[in-house]
Amino acid sequence: MKARANAMEVIGAAMVASLVLVALLAPILAPHDPTRAVANSFGDPWPPSWRFPLGTDALGRDVLSRIIFGAQISLEVGIAAMAVTMTIGVAIGLSAGFFGGKVDFILMRFTDVMLTLPGLLLAMALVSVLGPSIRSILIVIGIVSWTSIARVVRAEALSMSQRDFVMAARTLGAPSPRLITRHVLPNVAPTIIVMAALGTSGTLLLDAALSFLGLGVPPPTPSWGRMIEEATIYFRVAPWLATFPGLAIFYAVLAFNLLGYGVLRQRAR
Amino acid sequence: MMMTVVIFAGCQQSSDNFGFPPSAMVLRLASNDDVPSLDPAAGYDTASWTFEQAIFDTLVRYGDADVELHPEVATSWESSADGSVFTFHLRNDVRFSNGRPVTAADFKFGIERVIDPATLSKGMEYYQGIAGAAEFAAHRKPHVDGIETPDPYTLIFRLSGPDPIFPHKLAMPFASAVPREVVEKWGEDFSRHVVGSGAFKLREWIGGQRIVLEKNPYYYVKGQPRLGGVVEQVGVNAELQWLKFESSEIDVLEAIPPSEFPYVMKTPALRALTLNKSTVTTEYLGMNCQMPPFDDVRVRQAFNCAIDKQKLIAVINGRGIMARGVLPPNLPGYDPDVRGYDYDPAKARALLEQAHFPHDPKLPLWFRADQTGEMLAESIQQDLALAGVSVALKPVAWGPLLEAIRQPKNVQFFMSAWEADFPDPENFLSVLLSRKQFGSNNDAFYTDPAVEALLGQAALVSDMKKRYAIYDQAQRIVIADAPWVFLIHPVQYVMRKPWVHDFIMNPMRPTRFEPISLSQPTGD
Repeated sequence: MKARANAMEVIGAAMVASLVLVALLAPILAPHDPTRAVANSFGDPWPPSWRFPLGTDALGRDVLSRIIFGAQISLEVGIAAMAVTMTIGVAIGLSAGFFGGKVDFILMRFTDVMLTLPGLLLAMALVSVLGPSIRSILIVIGIVSWTSIARVVRAEALSMSQRDFVMAARTLGAPSPRLITRHVLPNVAPTIIVMAALGTSGTLLLDAALSFLGLGVPPPTPSWGRMIEEATIYFRVAPWLATFPGLAIFYAVLAFNLLGYGVLRQRAR
Repeated sequence: MMMTVVIFAGCQQSSDNFGFPPSAMVLRLASNDDVPSLDPAAGYDTASWTFEQAIFDTLVRYGDADVELHPEVATSWESSADGSVFTFHLRNDVRFSNGRPVTAADFKFGIERVIDPATLSKGMEYYQGIAGAAEFAAHRKPHVDGIETPDPYTLIFRLSGPDPIFPHKLAMPFASAVPREVVEKWGEDFSRHVVGSGAFKLREWIGGQRIVLEKNPYYYVKGQPRLGGVVEQVGVNAELQWLKFESSEIDVLEAIPPSEFPYVMKTPALRALTLNKSTVTTEYLGMNCQMPPFDDVRVRQAFNCAIDKQKLIAVINGRGIMARGVLPPNLPGYDPDVRGYDYDPAKARALLEQAHFPHDPKLPLWFRADQTGEMLAESIQQDLALAGVSVALKPVAWGPLLEAIRQPKNVQFFMSAWEADFPDPENFLSVLLSRKQFGSNNDAFYTDPAVEALLGQAALVSDMKKRYAIYDQAQRIVIADAPWVFLIHPVQYVMRKPWVHDFIMNPMRPTRFEPISLSQPTGD
């Protein structure tokens, strides 16, 4: 019997879908080029108006267009970084949970070591070394975020491998890789999906933090974190410059969290 | 309870008065970057000179508000008819802050130190014209013969050729009186332990944190300095400086952040605290003529046409005028008829086409890392993107930036500025664009034989009208060759608290601390 989708799930899914749509359709939706000056507001940002619904920044650029294009970067980085995180975390977690013993011990100690390193600082250090670009950010965020996924997947894989159907398959002589991919992984998949959704909100925030610190995607590509950084100095005279990107980040993080928790609650029924 | 703790903590800071007695008048400043050097032979930037001119004395100096030569340690001077011998008569009541009297030998030592290649002084070039300088620099002679000290209070300079503006070169901190024994004691560390004869002495310099000056008890001008001390906190970014000024933690705000500037000008009470001066400065983008793509003059001209300079001025709230050439408007010898390059993106694209400019090379633009620099750089990036050039921004701290651009074949494209040291076109054209200044101030590594010849010619001419005409010819060639994108001549605005008196802006030099007084001691 298929359970009814709950409200959280639906709202979360809708919000994520809206983000994806905005990101995909950015060139059509955005009224102006986000990197060009379209208003004469140099050094003196303009407040929201009919012409520029979210105002313009100190270099004459339309804030609305920058927010829309910013969604592209945020989603791109958020989702791709999540993919990197997933790959590393699932591989480690599955191996540890399934093989157990020494493999488990080594992998988990390695995970513990990674957990002791402060994520944001490690990310900052790595980006400084690799140089800020989309690719290095993806890799770096992926590297600092996989530990929680690994642990959860390990726990699931551990319990899965003790289950009857897996024991049965093993007795029948199925090789380990086949056991993992055919039997364990499909059953761990729902958990992975939930962790992915929840994790994306984390990678999004990490990307915003790095951009804020000047280590994100370099200008002129608009990114929400960097927009906030550029706006902090104007906070007293032009508070909207920081508020709107902040709201955008809030919306995106909320979207993925709702989706993740929604699916989680669904499964828990 | 927490509130009271916080309040007491705040009170402690100022009642402490940085170690000065509570009644002392201490001028409090803040800056983003640390001072590069206090050694008069080494420092060659506004920050260093601000303090060097307070700690050291030169033979002659500019007035508080003008660029006429006035006596400092020299009471009078005369030149020979042909402008190649200059005689200075010194006061006899000047002492270093360690008590020792200053004599002509101390000036000789200071200048020889600058000429000595081992010191790596950026001011070397200015004193090469003294007879015997080359022999001394090559270590063939122990002293520069052309600097004579017939008695402790007379100093004679014999130059190898006429140099009508030589006295101006003695008004730069390079030509300060320096105590030999202190330099020999500290060697390379002299900058951290400077001793001079100026109105102030160095009390403390904690790198990255603060510089503290205190009154020199032996200063020869009675009644000066009026301040008991000066404290500059470093590493304070522009926004924080603004906040400190607002909360009266500092007395002078040297750079009003662009985000606050419109607000300041619109608020009468704040506007009354501002002072401004048209600086004798040119801001420019240097293009390394020895590195591709800037070895092609068409590319350099294209960049000049591609960048909207009026937009840059708007970004800094109108605090400047567009630069059409090398020389700024307040410099004697400025030619108001030079056209420079107007904003013409179509022409820029055409020139780049002609030059077969490679698309998307991701050119790094190096610039000084501060808020204003960031905004100007992004505006420039925008303009160049429209011309099909993609530029990556590279913010760097001021000291390292200067070091990097001076290395040959290192930095292709950078933002920099030059403020006049003395009121003559030589200070721009020769210092920034002559082959002799490669590795020093000619960071675009530009050279042209015709320009070089004209510069050599002009330097000897004492008829100012003729002199400026020759420099003008040179400038026009330089403009056509476009080693720089000529950006702006900025107008500097500062703010000072109502209790700061006699903070006088000089067109060419940082404000002097000597006349400043405060009408309330900062011990409150």
